[in-house]
Amino acid sequence: MSTEALDVQRRAASYAYVVLDEQDRIVHVSTALHSELGHWAGHVLWDHLPGARDVYGPCFAEARTSGGAAEATVFYAGRLKRITAIPGADGLAVHFEELVELDLTSLASLTRSLEAIEDVLAAREHAQPDPRARAFPRALP
Amino acid sequence: MAVTVGQQTPLVVLDEGDRIVGVGPGAESRFGPLLGEIVWDCYPGSEALFKPHYDAARTSGEQVEFAQFYDGNVVRVRAVPGTGGRLELYWQRLGRLDTLTLESLLETLEESLEMLAVESSAAERAGARRALRLVEGGGR
Repeated sequence: MSTEALDVQRRAASYAYVVLDEQDRIVHVSTALHSELGHWAGHVLWDHLPGARDVYGPCFAEARTSGGAAEATVFYAGRLKRITAIPGADGLAVHFEELVELDLTSLASLTRSLEAIEDVLAAREHAQPDPRARAFPRALP
Repeated sequence: MAVTVGQQTPLVVLDEGDRIVGVGPGAESRFGPLLGEIVWDCYPGSEALFKPHYDAARTSGEQVEFAQFYDGNVVRVRAVPGTGGRLELYWQRLGRLDTLTLESLLETLEESLEMLAVESSAAERAGARRALRLVEGGGR
């Protein structure tokens, strides 16, 4: 993928992103995530996110191996997110888009959250036959 | 599995208007700052889950014990009515959802539903179980 095409993709994607080096060390945090992740700059991402490597790692590996953007819908820390990993000369840019957050207030609200997750997954499956969109099963036991 | 709440001193005491008027010795850090507040104002969404049980205790004059899911926790509560509409609440946390990964969520949610099996609304449990199966099935 050309640098120009990558730039277009980066602009089109959300502004909540981090850039990782080849060891998954955070080398840049976007302004939108600065208050949340800024203090992790220079640290390896996995050191702060227990269990996340199994969830996010396959998408990162796919992007690095293919040299193109890879996308996955994953569940981590109570949230369903869409992640887009875009490899570039300066590292791997990982964009985060929050889709559903679990509402733990009551069993009823939790049920609605789980149903919302199912709706997102169903809509993605219907709209996007791209096999990369089926990355969610990787997060399942 | 029924569990009896065994504390000797109440966690909190409510007046007839559900205002926090007393805090047990082991709960000052959590509830001390809330003295004088209406408990429902401090815990959004909790009124519909707990108040019916508290009202039942006040109306019957008998203590009521129940298990409830709130804010990711499964708790067992004993509400003991006193004079003038006061209510002593004894509280025990039985479990907590682990939402780190889908795997841990599914496991702890199933455990939570088991803990609630004795008394919680069957419809609520069935709804959560159905949604759980949907998410599990959706990923396969």
